[in-house]
Amino acid sequence: MRGAQAGSVSDLEALFKMHWPRAFRAAYLVAHDAAAAEDIAQESFLAAIRSLERFDRRRPFGPWLHRIVVNRAIDWTRARALRGEVELSDALPGAAQPSEPDGTLAALARLSPEHRAVIVMRYLLDLTPGEIAEALELPRGTVNSRLRRGLDALGDEL
Amino acid sequence: MRIDLERIPIPGQHEAQARTWSIVARAFHERRPSPHRSPWLRVAVVAIAAALIGAAALSAPGRAVLDEVREVVGVERAQPALFSLPAPGRVLVSSDAGVWVVQEDGSKRLLGRYREASWSPFGRFVVAARENELVALEPMGGIRWTLARRDVRSPVWTGSEMDTRIAYVDRTGIRVVGGDGLGDRLLVRGGRGPLAWHPGDGFVLAYADRRGRVVVLDAGTRKVRWRSRPDGRVLDLEWSWNGSRLVARRARARDDLAIYTQRGALFTGFRTPRGVLTAAATRPGTTARAVAIREGAQARLLMPDVLRPALSGPGALSELTWSPDAGWLLASWPSADQWVFVRADGKRIRAASNVAEQFRSGAAPRVEGWCCEPRR
Repeated sequence: MRGAQAGSVSDLEALFKMHWPRAFRAAYLVAHDAAAAEDIAQESFLAAIRSLERFDRRRPFGPWLHRIVVNRAIDWTRARALRGEVELSDALPGAAQPSEPDGTLAALARLSPEHRAVIVMRYLLDLTPGEIAEALELPRGTVNSRLRRGLDALGDEL
Repeated sequence: MRIDLERIPIPGQHEAQARTWSIVARAFHERRPSPHRSPWLRVAVVAIAAALIGAAALSAPGRAVLDEVREVVGVERAQPALFSLPAPGRVLVSSDAGVWVVQEDGSKRLLGRYREASWSPFGRFVVAARENELVALEPMGGIRWTLARRDVRSPVWTGSEMDTRIAYVDRTGIRVVGGDGLGDRLLVRGGRGPLAWHPGDGFVLAYADRRGRVVVLDAGTRKVRWRSRPDGRVLDLEWSWNGSRLVARRARARDDLAIYTQRGALFTGFRTPRGVLTAAATRPGTTARAVAIREGAQARLLMPDVLRPALSGPGALSELTWSPDAGWLLASWPSADQWVFVRADGKRIRAASNVAEQFRSGAAPRVEGWCCEPRR
């Protein structure tokens, strides 16, 4: 982080390689759309670049980035439902056809984005319930109940 | 559980990482350190803003600033005229009377009887079209040069500080001319618009051909970089701010958006089954889009990342244009004869009525662009 703040491209690249895959995966698991996940992870990194000079190095970069990513992914999923949008990938000729979803992915897809988000933050991003509550601005009890319900539903599906 | 989540395959992950890194690296290279603001300065700015908002709430024009959206024809208590723009920059407008430039303070200047126009890079000039002439103008209306061609339309200007090009359509097809008016040549015989220059280095043009294909070609070498499959008439083309996406709004059984990567792969696309997508605009600095949807007789405006419609009412929204600072969206609402400015967070709306009359027009004026302050 220090090197990136000083303008080092190689340090920025190391930071990117360290954090992008997980940010992208978290966005994908919440949004269930690879294109949207790419946009969400990309814009989150661009936001990070824009505020690089002001970033407090005493705070860890990963959780800060992941918080932006997950919140954006939840918002994107809600907004898409509001717009009544459907993907064209199956309607446009020449588009890549999505493969049959993995069992865990299909089970996750049946959860609401809010439940997916807490599962992803807890088990992919390794955040504690307290950290999740802070990131999503939710009471800790709500996070715990969403985790429990999410795991119950996943257990049923899997 | 963690292992399960990490093992889920994601289509195109490596390509996505490579694309994102090229964009992040470029943004890093181009970034400018932002000055540290004093906390006391921030407190002062907040206090002044609060005082201004309080004063605005008590004044008649201010009520429109703080207005809420209503289910009526137009925004209630809209201002009777366009007194000012909510963000820096200048708006280029075409109406029955010709092409106008609207300054931030609301003043308007008629540049002449042209039917279409667009800004040059950095907002220094305007290129305008009338039936048999392409004209380069200064924003105050002075003519720099003209070029006589038949049935001129769809001019678009791109380039750097040193070298610019204008693409336009005439009776022969798509043509390109230098920003100084020299070197005019036919680029695509029989080609037609819409046209959109790639915002990056070089002169790369996207256009829609007669078969409904999106074509991207290098205007210097005439080499086609990629061509989409035909899929209905293309109504608009728009590159994202960094050129990583090309958004095509199409007219099919229902309008929709197809979004391509800069290499021509179909990135994603959207259809609105319950309505017709009448306009879309990508917010500068992001890949998120504001969209206007018509559902039956109702128009809805949806801002990026805002969960409720920012605007809703009868009719349709015909154009969406972002301010150069990405802080405000201008939505043209012909059935209400209004321009509605919506702040990016969707929480604040300003509207101006009687738009057609102000631009001496029978039909709704068309917003051609909202550009930056000219760089000296």
